[in-house]
Amino acid sequence: MKKRTEVQQGTLGLMVLKTLDVLGPLHGYGMARRIEQISKDLLAVNQGTLYPVLLKLEHEGSITSEWGASENNRRARFYRLTRAGLKQMQAETHDWEQTAAIIARFFEVRAEDLT
Amino acid sequence: MRSLRRFLERLTNFVWKRRGDPRLREEMEDHLSLQTEDNIRAGMPPAEARRQAVLKFGAVEAIREDYHAEQGLPFIENLLQDLRYAMRLFSRSPGFAAVAIAMIALGIGATTAIFSVVDAVLLRSLAYPEPESLVKIFFNNPGTESYAVRFSVPELEDLRNRAGVFEQVSVSARGSIDLTGGSQPERLEAVAASPNYFSLLRANPQIGRLFDSQDVALGYAPVVVISDGLWRSTFAGDPRVLGRTIHLDNDPYTIVGVLPPGFRHPGRASSQDVEVWQTSGFSAAPDPPPTRGTRSLPQAWGRLKPGVTLAQAQDRLTAMAGELRREYPKDYPSEGKWTIEIRPLQEALVGDVRPMLLVLQGAVALIVFIVALNIANLLLARASGRQHEMAVRSALGASRGRIVRQMLTESLLLSFVGGAAGIALAEGALRLMLRLIPPTVPRLSEVTIDWTVLLLALLASLLTGLLFGLAPALHSSKPDIRGGVRGSVSGAGGTRLRDALVVSELAMAVVLMIGGGLLLRTLRDLIRENPGFNPSQVVAASVNLPYPTNPSLDPYLTIAQQTAFYRELRRRMNAIPGVELAAFVSDLPTTGQPFNFALGIEGRPSKSGEELRVEPVIVSPDYFRVMQAPLLRGRSFAEDDRDGNLPVAIVDASTARRYWPDRDPLGRRVRLGQDPASSWRTIVGVVRDIKQDGLDVDGVPHVYISIYQKFDAQQGVVFRDFSTVSRTSLPAGVLEPQIRRQVESIDPRLPVYNVTTMNEVLEGSLASRRFSARLVGGFAGLALLLASIGIYGLLAYVVGQRSREIGLRMALGATRADILKLILHKGIVLTAIGVVAGVILSASTASMMASLLYGVRPRDPAVFLVVPALFFAVAIMASYIPAWRATKVDPMLALRES
Repeated sequence: MKKRTEVQQGTLGLMVLKTLDVLGPLHGYGMARRIEQISKDLLAVNQGTLYPVLLKLEHEGSITSEWGASENNRRARFYRLTRAGLKQMQAETHDWEQTAAIIARFFEVRAEDLT
Repeated sequence: MRSLRRFLERLTNFVWKRRGDPRLREEMEDHLSLQTEDNIRAGMPPAEARRQAVLKFGAVEAIREDYHAEQGLPFIENLLQDLRYAMRLFSRSPGFAAVAIAMIALGIGATTAIFSVVDAVLLRSLAYPEPESLVKIFFNNPGTESYAVRFSVPELEDLRNRAGVFEQVSVSARGSIDLTGGSQPERLEAVAASPNYFSLLRANPQIGRLFDSQDVALGYAPVVVISDGLWRSTFAGDPRVLGRTIHLDNDPYTIVGVLPPGFRHPGRASSQDVEVWQTSGFSAAPDPPPTRGTRSLPQAWGRLKPGVTLAQAQDRLTAMAGELRREYPKDYPSEGKWTIEIRPLQEALVGDVRPMLLVLQGAVALIVFIVALNIANLLLARASGRQHEMAVRSALGASRGRIVRQMLTESLLLSFVGGAAGIALAEGALRLMLRLIPPTVPRLSEVTIDWTVLLLALLASLLTGLLFGLAPALHSSKPDIRGGVRGSVSGAGGTRLRDALVVSELAMAVVLMIGGGLLLRTLRDLIRENPGFNPSQVVAASVNLPYPTNPSLDPYLTIAQQTAFYRELRRRMNAIPGVELAAFVSDLPTTGQPFNFALGIEGRPSKSGEELRVEPVIVSPDYFRVMQAPLLRGRSFAEDDRDGNLPVAIVDASTARRYWPDRDPLGRRVRLGQDPASSWRTIVGVVRDIKQDGLDVDGVPHVYISIYQKFDAQQGVVFRDFSTVSRTSLPAGVLEPQIRRQVESIDPRLPVYNVTTMNEVLEGSLASRRFSARLVGGFAGLALLLASIGIYGLLAYVVGQRSREIGLRMALGATRADILKLILHKGIVLTAIGVVAGVILSASTASMMASLLYGVRPRDPAVFLVVPALFFAVAIMASYIPAWRATKVDPMLALRES
């Protein structure tokens, strides 16, 4: 149980960084919606779990936040990627792609390929 | 890097108590309203839109907790929370906290104080560089059972030149010496040593120089090295003291150096530290000509060559002693089996006090153990009392780890506070102990609470907390939740553990009490011991006649000159108003005796393998009358027993019994020492045994010799220190200036010192025993108290747990006597087991104490009966209180409670 949450939290952090990189500054709800749209069911429930992750990323210096006005002129907290965050995202993206590629190669392997 | 930054952010938040709650609430509110708007836009009714938004957001509490944990440092927050909680708990039951803290403090305080002494005296290495190669050299005649005998200069030369195992060998002789020239003559502790003494000990001067090869002489070199203490007290720390001439026993000496404050002569400081060091070759006056058989040197120290082990050196010395015995059969009688033994310096110095320190250490270990058991019991009792609370906590979702942590925090807090209090206590206890410890314990000046001891004490307090915290924590962290919440009584497991703890506590306390009882009984017997004389209303004062190396400076060179002085002083002292009678003695009773000599008996063939030895005591006329020591036969010394008249002697009853068991010793002739020139003395009287060597030393034969007759047992051995004893009703302080005035009016250069009553001299000789007996006795009392607290606590707890059962029994017709019996029974059974175990343990270990006992057997039946009886009485009293309280249980209340 616990393990899965950790993986999800890790991936959630990377998704946040990527979303901010692609879409620019966003508030929490906006991010939650994007992530839900793209990942389909991740964050369909328990959207609130996003906020501790945002705080952690902010503590790590990957994102910053400030109060701003939302589309319908409401006050909302906007998150923005920092340069450290950009670097972190690129590094993690690279790691992910590498891992994914390796795992993919293992999935492609069939018994006869190994003889 | 990133995690460091994250940690710092959280730390800042934690320190500034920054709370993320408002921000999260605001963000949450925004999030929900945006989602609600989107839902409404998708066609939901407003109420449903809000409900769906909340559902989608998830469990708010869990998220807030995560958020909060991310915001600060939850570990420390929990710790602080636990600490606050623990403090609240302790302030709610201050009795428990005070008892637990006091017990830990006592345990740690006592350990630290005693350990500090043991550490300085036994464990810490000597304050000389490379102490491991330093040895003390002993010369023994095992065949005649005389050990640590004196040796001669040729034997010293053999150690240096023939043995081949020593880098250096040095002689030292201790004594006291008169320093004159100041406002008042002073008596100093002096050491005369070989010139290589300081280089052997690798000492360096504070100013000036120490002895070296330029000071090599046959007799005494005219130079002297002084201690830092003497330099500061008598010479005001003046560096110009170098080159100054001082007079020691009338001889002029030039001060060449001052030792640093930390330097000490490797020996027991009987009363004072050594203040002056002289150097001598011990081969010219006042020492006798150096022949192999003239053994006058008392102490030898050696430093082994690098790479030579103790065992190798010992083998070589044993072999060399054998060669010497064959080469000089005349100087080494075959029955003596003369041999040389070396012992590490540290061991040689500590030797005598070791048993006492070990017993003290054992007592401390027992006390610490008892304290530990008691605290474990206390915490255990609390833990079972708090099972309800623990059950509620787990029901509310506290994890097992969290509960364990909280309990650990509580017990660690206890042991830290207790540890801190214990260290403070140790400081006070050490000061008290240093006042109680007899000054004969070596290296006392080095005793301080040092950081190793402190660390040990802290570690002890930490371990105590962990150990005792863990057991109850684990015990209480697996409660049966439903049973616990409902308040039902736990299983028997915990109770059995507590019974075992109390029983072992009782057993330890019994062991301590029996040990204390044996020591106290020994002390009581010794105090009641008849010293052989009447010590009350006797004032003693010591005087030191100088013994210069230059005979022309010696005003007391001949026995006639000495006699004139003694007679004049006695006449003047007898004239002091308030003094009934005065006399002189070479060594006061119970202070020991530096010399013993072979005893030759006229007409008695010397049997092989037997060497008769006696200790000489030099006394003036009237000595036995002043001391009120009964003369059994014959007469006492008279003014006529002077040089030129018949040499006479008085023997004590032990000597008479041993050497003339069935004949009258009067009129027989004896001779002291092996020197054929030593005079035959006719026995004129027999006196009752006087405890000359200490109240706990029996049956050493003594021969009394008139102070007016020359002591010629051995060349080089002279008696010039003596004590005056006066029978008087005046206190010592009043008499002191009068005695001083009388001595000064004859010779103003003579110091008068150690003016005290004979009773104080006796007390002083028991100081070491009194100290250990009181300490162990105190520990025994403490153990008794702790053990009764332990048994009381256990029974009180049992009564609390069983109050419902007791109520039920009473409701069903049990009388108060039945209830009393029910509870007392448990107390009696536990005490009986504990006492029996303790008695068995004591009986099997008591022989370890044998060397500390006198006149009391290690399994003294009285102690072994009285202590358990006393213990039983106290334990039953302690059990009676909770039992009595059990009878006060109101059946209605007890039944309604559940």
